[in-house]
Amino acid sequence: MIRIQNALWEIRNWFRGITNAVADFLKNHKMGFLVNWPGWLKAIVFLAPALTLLGIFTFYPIVNAFRLVGFVGYRVIDGVEQATGYTVFGNFITVITEDNFILPSSHTQSSVLINTLIIVLISVPLSVIISLMVAVALNSIKPLRSFFQTIYFLPYVTNSIAIGLVFAYMFRSGNSGLVNRMLSVFGVDPITWIERGATFWKAMFVLLIYGTWGALAFKIMVFMTSIQGIDKQYYQAAAIDNTSKWRIFSKITVPLISPMIFYIVITSVIGAFKTYETVIAIFGNTGAPAGATYTLKTIVFYIYDYLNVSAPGNLSLAAASSIVLFAFILVLTLIQMQVGKKRIHY
Amino acid sequence: MKTTAYARYRRFEAVTLLVDFVAAIAYLILFLLFFRLIQLPVTGNGEVDLANLHQAFVYETLIGDITTAKLNTFLSLLTLLMIVTIPMLVINYKKLKKMTIYELNEYSISGKFVQGLISLFAINPISAGLRFYNSFVTMQVVKGYGFKTFLTTIKPWFKKLFEKKPRIVIEEEEDDPETIALKKNIRRQNVVYALRMIVTYFFLVLMALVIIVPFYWMVVTSLKTFYESTVNQNPSIFVSLADMQWINYKVVLQELDFGRYLANTAFVAVISTSGTIFTTILAAYAFAKIEFKGRELIFSILIMTMMIPGELYVITNFLTVSRSGFSWIGNAAGNNQYFLTMTIPFMTSISYIFFLRQNFKQIPDTLYQAARVDGCSDLKYLTRVMVPIASPIIFTITLLNIFGAWNAFIWPRIITSTNPIEGQNFWLISVALRDASFNYPGGDRIMYNLQIAASALVTVPLMIVFFAFRKYIMSGVGRSGTKG
Repeated sequence: MIRIQNALWEIRNWFRGITNAVADFLKNHKMGFLVNWPGWLKAIVFLAPALTLLGIFTFYPIVNAFRLVGFVGYRVIDGVEQATGYTVFGNFITVITEDNFILPSSHTQSSVLINTLIIVLISVPLSVIISLMVAVALNSIKPLRSFFQTIYFLPYVTNSIAIGLVFAYMFRSGNSGLVNRMLSVFGVDPITWIERGATFWKAMFVLLIYGTWGALAFKIMVFMTSIQGIDKQYYQAAAIDNTSKWRIFSKITVPLISPMIFYIVITSVIGAFKTYETVIAIFGNTGAPAGATYTLKTIVFYIYDYLNVSAPGNLSLAAASSIVLFAFILVLTLIQMQVGKKRIHY
Repeated sequence: MKTTAYARYRRFEAVTLLVDFVAAIAYLILFLLFFRLIQLPVTGNGEVDLANLHQAFVYETLIGDITTAKLNTFLSLLTLLMIVTIPMLVINYKKLKKMTIYELNEYSISGKFVQGLISLFAINPISAGLRFYNSFVTMQVVKGYGFKTFLTTIKPWFKKLFEKKPRIVIEEEEDDPETIALKKNIRRQNVVYALRMIVTYFFLVLMALVIIVPFYWMVVTSLKTFYESTVNQNPSIFVSLADMQWINYKVVLQELDFGRYLANTAFVAVISTSGTIFTTILAAYAFAKIEFKGRELIFSILIMTMMIPGELYVITNFLTVSRSGFSWIGNAAGNNQYFLTMTIPFMTSISYIFFLRQNFKQIPDTLYQAARVDGCSDLKYLTRVMVPIASPIIFTITLLNIFGAWNAFIWPRIITSTNPIEGQNFWLISVALRDASFNYPGGDRIMYNLQIAASALVTVPLMIVFFAFRKYIMSGVGRSGTKG
């Protein structure tokens, strides 16, 4: 037994000797960094997996999107790129002037930009206000707080297609939909929400309700965390002065969490601009109720429409419209940042 | 005395949990056995007859003939039992693991007793008996007396309850107007406070209902018949245990192939998540601890790309994976690598790198220096020190990433639609939910009961994971402020 151990020990020492000799040799020939790794070499090894993937699937696509925009009639046949010409702004002009992008055309009566802006301008303020109210109410109670918190968080962990189908089912026409049945309790006649014959605003209403419903969870959670982070002394001082609840809310709570509100507004505006799955979950691939003269397509929907139909030049148009979307998001973010600098208290 | 009673309490609690565990397993096995028993009606040419799914049927089993209604009742009851037993088991197990003797108080006595009642309701008399007994052991620990002494205390307690208290009358002096005003003020404040609480709770309950109703309606609809869910103009709000159509789930799993889609999704989620965790930990470590030139520059470039919409990537990524790039897809049937395409691009995430880096940065550098002095390599330091310290955060990231993969829709849909016939075998659940046909045979009416059952099948695993690891997910989302 001991003999085997000794033999193993000998072998180990022998290997050690060789590695030491190699290390000494490298050090003597100015290659010591291979033995004692400097920061940059370690960084390369540690960052390699992530940066390789990001390079292929994130950075290259950004560059390539701006390259694709420059082609006319771009297409890929059997893995070979073909293009009939080059342009600078041509694809952007095609996208912007196309039917339904900015201006509604005669036969559809709605455009993707208007739809997207409606969603942004209504669902974002609505969800921010409601979630702020819920967070403040939740903070003012003690019993059942974590129970309510758990329930409000549920929409965050659901599959948006699955729940979208449930919403579509709840908003069925006639008395078979749950919503219509609830409304009939208040004496409201059955409404056609999303099926054949629904008007634009009714269909949009369902979309907005679903979007807001899904957006609440995250916001309530973030507002709760930030309200709990406020120093209790402010509230104690206010209580001594017998300050009214509304004043506490508007003069203490909101100003102190204003950076978080601001952050949430930015992220949810960006999120609302990218609305896609909610539309497809409720209205399917057409993006509109059956037989409607309008569509509820959003900008992202428009991009994927180009991607799904393979015609020459469509990929360039998809790239152009996604860059337009990016520009919208960028401009809004910059505006909000400028406003935010002045509006944020402290 | 107290410590021996507490040791007994722990022993009995462990035995109770063991019994509960056996019971839960038994419920599960029984549920699966009964579920296997369900037979799908078949038409003349061997296809499943969707039009007559809900016919009454008599199953011949070892325990005698069972009608469909009875079978449905059994399945519903077993589900209820599992819903009651399993959470109680898990909660009690967690409690027992961390518990100290100081945590037992008067409330734990009655708490144990109520749990016993719940066990009794869950048709588990052994656990119920053990819990009742254990509540008296708890009494021994907390109050120092046992069952017999408890019986002697009941009578005086009742007496005290019904005894009329002598009203203490204090001769009040006539208050001066200021005191009266003050008292009035206090009373008014109390009324206002009570009103405010009522309004607050009313608002919170209302919002909770708004959140819960879609889930409730989903579960109820998924257990209805085709007539009840789609044709009936007045669908019922409740479903009785015997009317729950468990066959819907069987049809969705077997006939509509959702079993395969669930397996696909689970596979993709596991692979892409393990890749994500591997790359993000390494990258976050490099950005947090290793000093090198251009670290802040590279990191801020990464942060800036978070602002760019994902649609911009999708276009080129589609070209990259198709024949002009890696040719993973777009080939003749049989040569396509759908799973590679659905996992590799999602094996890293900038927002998680950012989140993890913030947490790594909080770990003091002195630890790192000490480890370096002891001759610990970077990789060893990362795996032996950093990862264990940050393990809750890493677990949170894992969960959020699994959720993200479970709900992935756009990319899998584009990938699988390149070859609609072959791609159908590689659908993920969200794609299947949207694109699978739930139509009633010979018409374009959607069978809502099946569609919603599929939705429930997708949602329920998410809910189970969420409720099991609620704290990790909620704290992670609240703190990070980033959307996964």
